[in-house]
Amino acid sequence: MTSEANKDTIFAAMRESIENYDSEAAVAAAKQAVESGIDLLEAVEKGFAEPIRKLGDAFDRMEIFLPQLMLGSDAMKAGTAVLDEAITAGGGSIKSKGAVVIGTVEGDIHDIGKTVVAALLQANGYAVHDLGVEVPASRFIEAAESRKADIIATSALLSTTMLYQRDVLELLGNKGLRDKYFVVVGGAPVTQAWADEITADGYARGAYEAVRLLDARKGR
Amino acid sequence: MNFKEIAKRGETGPLTEANDFLMKRVSANVLKLEKKYEITWDGKTLVNLDEEMADRCWQAGKELLLSSGVFSMGSKRIIELSPGEVEEALRFAPAELPMGQGKDAVRVYHRRVEDPRKPFVFGGPFNADVSEEHFVKLNEAFAQERLIDSLLFPGYLKKLDGQMIRPTSALASRAAMLYGQWSREAVRRAGRPGMPITGHAVMAQNEIACTNEHWGLRSTDPRAMVLISELQVDDVTMTRLAYYLAYGCPIYMAFTPLIGGYGGGPAGTAIVAVASFIASVVLGGEVVHIGPQHIKFKQQTNQHSLFLAGLANQAVARNSRIIATTSHTTSGRPGSAQYAYEFSALALTAVTSGSNVTGPRPAEPLGFNNVSPLMARLFAEVSHAAAGMKRENAAEIVAKLYEKYKDKIDLEQAPKGQAFEELYDLQTLRPTSEHQALYEKLKEELIGMGVPLDG
Repeated sequence: MTSEANKDTIFAAMRESIENYDSEAAVAAAKQAVESGIDLLEAVEKGFAEPIRKLGDAFDRMEIFLPQLMLGSDAMKAGTAVLDEAITAGGGSIKSKGAVVIGTVEGDIHDIGKTVVAALLQANGYAVHDLGVEVPASRFIEAAESRKADIIATSALLSTTMLYQRDVLELLGNKGLRDKYFVVVGGAPVTQAWADEITADGYARGAYEAVRLLDARKGR
Repeated sequence: MNFKEIAKRGETGPLTEANDFLMKRVSANVLKLEKKYEITWDGKTLVNLDEEMADRCWQAGKELLLSSGVFSMGSKRIIELSPGEVEEALRFAPAELPMGQGKDAVRVYHRRVEDPRKPFVFGGPFNADVSEEHFVKLNEAFAQERLIDSLLFPGYLKKLDGQMIRPTSALASRAAMLYGQWSREAVRRAGRPGMPITGHAVMAQNEIACTNEHWGLRSTDPRAMVLISELQVDDVTMTRLAYYLAYGCPIYMAFTPLIGGYGGGPAGTAIVAVASFIASVVLGGEVVHIGPQHIKFKQQTNQHSLFLAGLANQAVARNSRIIATTSHTTSGRPGSAQYAYEFSALALTAVTSGSNVTGPRPAEPLGFNNVSPLMARLFAEVSHAAAGMKRENAAEIVAKLYEKYKDKIDLEQAPKGQAFEELYDLQTLRPTSEHQALYEKLKEELIGMGVPLDG
C-alpha cells in the first residue's frame, strides 16, 4: 500500500470511529496513525475534527441527539489524547480554539443545558473541562488556574442561583485574575442584561450561540 | 409503596454516576423500546390521532421505568421498582383530588381523551420573576379571573429591598414567608380566600417556611415538586416531599422531558414522558404536570413538543387514572398576539388528549412581571372550549395556529411583549384599553378559526 493510500485508510478508520460513536475504535485508529508515522496534525483535522463538526451540524438539524453527540465527543477526546501525547513528545502541539472550564453554579443541580454546551464546544475544537453541577465559585477559579484555561463558562437554571455567577466574577476580581479569563454566562433565566450587570464578557442563550460567542471573542 | 420505602431505597439502591444512569440506562433503554414498540413520529403530525401507538407508548414508558428506575442525585443511587410496586402505585393513584377551602374548594380530576368535562385550570405568574412592589396586585389580578381554579406559582421573589436572595440564606426564608403571606393576601383581596394556591417558592428547603394555616400556604394548597430530566430526583425535592406529604398537602409533581436530550427525538422522549408520569405517581405525586421541553427551541409549542404532549397525554389518559396537567410555555410574550396563538395550539392539543392545563407563560420572560392575567383568561376560555372537541377538529385548528407562529419560534425573533404594569391599570386592576382590544380581537380571530368561544 502506498503511504498516501495508507493515510487515507487510517483517516477513514478514524472518521468511522467518530461516526459510530466508538471510543475504543478511535483510540485504536489513533494508535495506528502514530505507528504509521503520518502527519499527526493532519490526522487530527481530517480524522477527528471533520467528522465531529459534521456530528455537530447533524445535532443542530436534530438528526442526532444529545447521547450521540456526547458519545461522538467522547470518542474524539479519547482518540485525540493518543495523538496529543505523540505530538507533544515530538515537540509540537495540537491547535485548540481555547480551554474552557464549565459548570453549573453552586446550589443548582441542573445538568443538561451545561452538558449540551460542553459537548458542542468540544465538537467545535475547544478543550473542555466539565466540572459538573453545584460548583462553588472558588472551584471554577481553581480549575481554570490548574487547567490553564482561557475561558470560564457558568450555567444557572434558577433565578435564585444566578447570583452565584456574579460571585465567580467578583472572586476573580478579588484575586486579581479578572483580566486573565473570558467569562461567559448562560442558563434559562440568564439574559444579556444580567451578563452586563455582573460584567461578564458574554452571554449565550443556547449551545450554538455559545460556540459562536467564543469563536468571535477577541483575545484575552 | 410508601414514601418511607422510597426514601430508604434512595439510600440503598445500586450506586452509579449520573452520566451512566442517563446514558446506559435511560438512553440505551429508550433506543430499544422505541424499536420494540414502534413509537415513531412521521415528521409532520402535530396532534396524535393514533390510539394504538398511544397504548404502545404507555407500555414502553412503563417498561422504561422498570428497566431504568429513578436516580437519586444526592445519594447517587438508583431507586429500582418492581412491576408489582408500579401496578400498585397506579391502582391507588387518585383519580380526583380536592384542594382549597370552604366555598372556594375545588376538585381536579383525571380526564379521558376527548373528555367533555372542562379541564381544571392552574393559572398565575407561573414562576416568572415578580417584583416585590407588584407581587400582591399582580396575583390579585390573576385570582380575580374566575376561570382560574388554582392560583399557580405566584412568582419568584428574586429580590427583597433591592437585595438578591441567596437560596439557602435567612433572606430566602423571609422571602418564602412573604411569598406565603402575599399570595394569601392576593386571593383574599380577590374575594376567594380559600382559593387553592399551587406553591413553588423555589428557595431550597427554606421554601417550607411559606407554610402557615393562618397567613400562608395551607395543607389544602398543592405544593409543586419538580423532577430533574430525565427520571432524576434531588435531595431538596425529597426533603420538601417528606414534609408536605406528612403535612397533608396535595402533591403537584412536575417533570420536563427534553426533546433532543437523553430520550432522543419526539417519539423517544414521549416514552420518557410516560415513564416520568408513572415515576411521579410512585414518588407520591397526585397531580402530574408534563412540560414538554425542547433542546433547541426551549419552549413548548414547537411541532415536536405538540406531538409529544398529545401522544404522552393520550397514553396516560387511556391507560391509567393519573390526573395529568400540561404546562404551556411559549416563545411569544404577553401583550403579543403570538402568545395567544401558541398557548391556544397547545391547549387544544392537551385538552383533547385528556389533560388539564397549567399556564401560560413565556419561556423567556423579559424582566420582571412579564405576565398577563387577561391572557390567562383567554387561555382558560380556549381550554374550556376544547372540552369534548374531537382531536381531528383540534388538529385542523392547531395546524392553522402553528402556521401563524412557526417562523417566530426562535426566542430572539419572538415578540417581546409588555410587563403587567404596562398592560394593566394598577389602580383598578383592569386591563388597559389596548390590552382589552387585543383580547377581543384574538377572541374573534380564534372563533373564526373554529374555536367555539362563543358557545
